[in-house]
Parts: sequence; structure tokens; C-alpha cells
Amino acid sequence: MLMHCTMAELLALRDGEGSTTTRSHIAACAECSAELERLYQRTAALKALSAFSPPRDRWPPVRDALEAEQRQAQRSRLRWVGLAAAAAIVGVIGFQAIPTAAPAQDLATREVEALVEESQELEQLLASFQRPGRVVNGMTAAAVADLEDRIAAVDFGITRAQEVAVSTDAMADLWRERVVLMDRLVSTHVQQVTYVGQ
Amino acid sequence: MAELTAAALDDLAIQRAKTGDLEALERVYRAYEGTVYTLARRICRTPEEAEETLQETFLEVCRSMKRFRGTGAGSLTAWIKRVAASKALIRIRYEKYRDTEQLEEESGWAGRRDGDVALQMDLESALARLSETSRAVVWLHDVEGYTHEEIAELMGKTVSFSKSQLSRAHARLRKLLGEEDRC
Repeated sequence: MLMHCTMAELLALRDGEGSTTTRSHIAACAECSAELERLYQRTAALKALSAFSPPRDRWPPVRDALEAEQRQAQRSRLRWVGLAAAAAIVGVIGFQAIPTAAPAQDLATREVEALVEESQELEQLLASFQRPGRVVNGMTAAAVADLEDRIAAVDFGITRAQEVAVSTDAMADLWRERVVLMDRLVSTHVQQVTYVGQ
Repeated sequence: MAELTAAALDDLAIQRAKTGDLEALERVYRAYEGTVYTLARRICRTPEEAEETLQETFLEVCRSMKRFRGTGAGSLTAWIKRVAASKALIRIRYEKYRDTEQLEEESGWAGRRDGDVALQMDLESALARLSETSRAVVWLHDVEGYTHEEIAELMGKTVSFSKSQLSRAHARLRKLLGEEDRC
């Protein structure tokens, strides 16, 4: 009894992978030859099926999502600029504040010095956690934004205090507040990293 | 179809799209929305899923455009279609009804047909009767020109799986189209 080609063999032949045996069989078997022809026709008919058009315009939601991401990225970049500026203020003001202190205020001056140093260390630690594009959840993002705003306010206060030459004790209070806020900011990033493993 | 739409995009538009320019990205979307939606419709179960695949595809395309290293519309077409195929296949892989498609393919149509009436339908309807996996393989291989190796990679399966699905799809199409019952 004559064994006809299987569909797999016909497909292999159509795709240029057929065996010599299959080719020989096709040449001799009118039924398999016709089957191969039908396969070609079916393939051509598949390719000729009409295209579809999307029933609704899906660009607006795509555009909205992209715009939201661009805004988020811009905010993130601005925060980085703000933090960099804050770090610069830490360096400049810290440097200026220490040598101008009077001998009678040595204790307070040393405290300011220590707080400036601590603040700088926290800035460095913070930089190791922050990188553009890192995913943070909404709650963390809100907490970070709040802390950064408060730090910016303290930095403004430090700048003003320097301009009006406030007492070293008052300056120490501002730096202490800055260190506390920086510490919270670092902790928030550490918790996020621990939670999402980034 | 893809070549025609791709021709509408010049290299300058592609370069602008790579910078994240929303107008240029919209031109990319307009040039390829039909291509992507058609591909998604052929693979996904419903038009709604195909629409979602269209949206997911372009979100990824737009986000990743700056990393696209190809030059010219030809390679852009291939890349976008690959993203679309991947999104559509992920969708069918994880759909809850995937476990029932085998049963549906084997008994769904056969259970309804009248034994005395010749089983014949147009190719569009016959294609829709295939399981999602078989339909995806036959479309990607026979129409989009993907190799079995590429399909296997996209589906996370073996080359043998792709070949057997193609064979199965054609055997089923042949039957649904009322062609001679021999193979």
C-alpha cells in the first residue's frame, strides 16, 4: 500500500527542507502532488488576508503615559540638581562657618564642625543609594520629596543665618536639624532598597 | 503592508523619535499601528486584547526607541513586529483560558456541526477556529516569515514544538476548509 506524505513532510518540502525520498514520492504521486499544491494555495491565501485597522485611536493613552514619565524624569533631575546644590552649600558654608568662630564659642564651633562633617557623610551615603531611573513606590517618593523640601528649607535658613551672622549656637541648631533630616532621607532610601532589593 | 507604511517614515523622523520627540513618535505609531494591530488580532483571542497589545507594544517601542540600533525603516519594522509578537504571545500564554483551548479546538466546532453538511468555511473563519498557539505559529511562520527557531525563542518552546504546531494548524485548516481528508 502506498504511504502518502504527512503534513509535516509537505511543510518541510514547501519550506525547502524536504528529503529526497519525499521529493521522489511527490513526483510519482498525483494525490500528494495535489496536496502540496493546496498547501501552497492555502499559504498564499493566508498572506492575502486583509489587514485590520484598530477600532480606536490608542495613541492618546500612549502619549499621556510617555508625557507623565517625562515629567517624572524632569522632577527627578531637578531633585538631583537641588541635592547637588545643597551639598555645595554644605561645603561652602561649613568651611566659612568654622574659622570665623570666636575662641569662647569653641564648644559650639566644634559641634557645628562635627555636624557639617556628619552632614557631608550623609550626602555621600545618599548619593550611593540614589540613581536616576531607580524605581520607588509612591509612598516612598512622597516621603523623599517631603524630606528634600524640608532640607532645602533648612539650607535656605543656613544661608540666611550666614548672611546675618547668627550665633554659633543658632547655627548648630540649623545643622543639627539638617543632619536629622538627612538621616531620615538616607533611612528612607535604605528601607526602599531593602524592600525592593534594588 | 509593512513596507508601505515603513516607507512613510524617513530616517530623519526615526532619528527624531530616538530623541523622545513626541511628534516623531506619533509618526512611528501612525506608520505601524495597522501592522501591529493586524499581527495582534491574528494572535490574540479578542479584538480588545489586540488593542491592549497594540498599546503595550507602542509603550515599549517609545520607551526603548533611543536604544534602537538599527538604521532605516526596514529594521525598525522588524523590531516593532518582534515587540508586538512578543507582547501578544505573552498575553496568550498567561490568559486563564489557555488550559481550555485544547478542548475547544478539538470539540468546539466538531460538536456543533451537522454530520450531513460538508464542513466548509472561509479561511478567515477557519483561522479563528484554531487554538491561539497554533494560529500564532501559522501566522508568524507562513505570513510574517519567522523561522521555527525564532518562533521557538519567542514562545519559550522548542523548534519541534513550533514545527508540530504548524503541521497541526495546517491539518486543521485543511479539514475546516473542506479539503480532502487524506493526510
